[in-house]
Amino acid sequence: MSNKLSDFISENNVVMNLHAKDQKDAIHQLALILQENGSVSDAEAFYQDVLHRESLTTTGIGNNIAIPHGKSASVIQSTMLFAKNTEPLEWHSLDGSKVNIIFLMAVSPKAKGDDHLRMLAKLSGKLMDDEFVDSIKSAETTTEVLRILKN
Amino acid sequence: MSKKIVAVTACIAGIAHTYMAAENLKKFAKKEGYDIKVETQGAMGVENRLSQSEIDAADVVIFAVDTNVQEPDRFEGKKTLKVGTSEVVKDGKSAIDQAIELTN
Repeated sequence: MSNKLSDFISENNVVMNLHAKDQKDAIHQLALILQENGSVSDAEAFYQDVLHRESLTTTGIGNNIAIPHGKSASVIQSTMLFAKNTEPLEWHSLDGSKVNIIFLMAVSPKAKGDDHLRMLAKLSGKLMDDEFVDSIKSAETTTEVLRILKN
Repeated sequence: MSKKIVAVTACIAGIAHTYMAAENLKKFAKKEGYDIKVETQGAMGVENRLSQSEIDAADVVIFAVDTNVQEPDRFEGKKTLKVGTSEVVKDGKSAIDQAIELTN
């Protein structure tokens, strides 16, 4: 059984030039993209669920990276979006750093142990790998991001 | 012989921090030359489950959790460090060092 990122990720999952003005704006814009992609049925409901998760503890994991996520009934298929914002955003990160790399994870509450969930778990683990983080931070095109994610 | 650590990671949503904390514990245990096995209790259920003999053989237990550990009886009587997943994501080395300190 394969659970590589490559099986789930396409250019639809990469947003290179997000122009969000703050954290909420970023999550909101990305929620709308997930809706356009057909991954989320109701962007507003998903947005609220992600904000709720954010209110419990920050998802700014440090090193300019945030991983907002929501387990939400509005999620049709568990998936993720990678986004790079043009300006670093305040995210109350663990290390105080501002965020310009965002991995938004959308999880269906019905998905128990499916391949998509496993993909998100693997991706989360990879964020602790310095080499992976360095390369994703320096990537400048959608193609490059996809190559790194799929590697 | 290198010291043996067993750990359990679990976060509220069970999506991201469970798996980040697990990787960071493994990364820094390896760097410092300790044996480690990490059980994840996340959205995919219990994975990489620790056997009783692995727990019994461990010098120290790390609970990197924001929620209750499932089947905590298995760890009764063990030296245990309890931390939140965010602390481990932020500073994996410190969690490993604190755990090893408990064994000295």
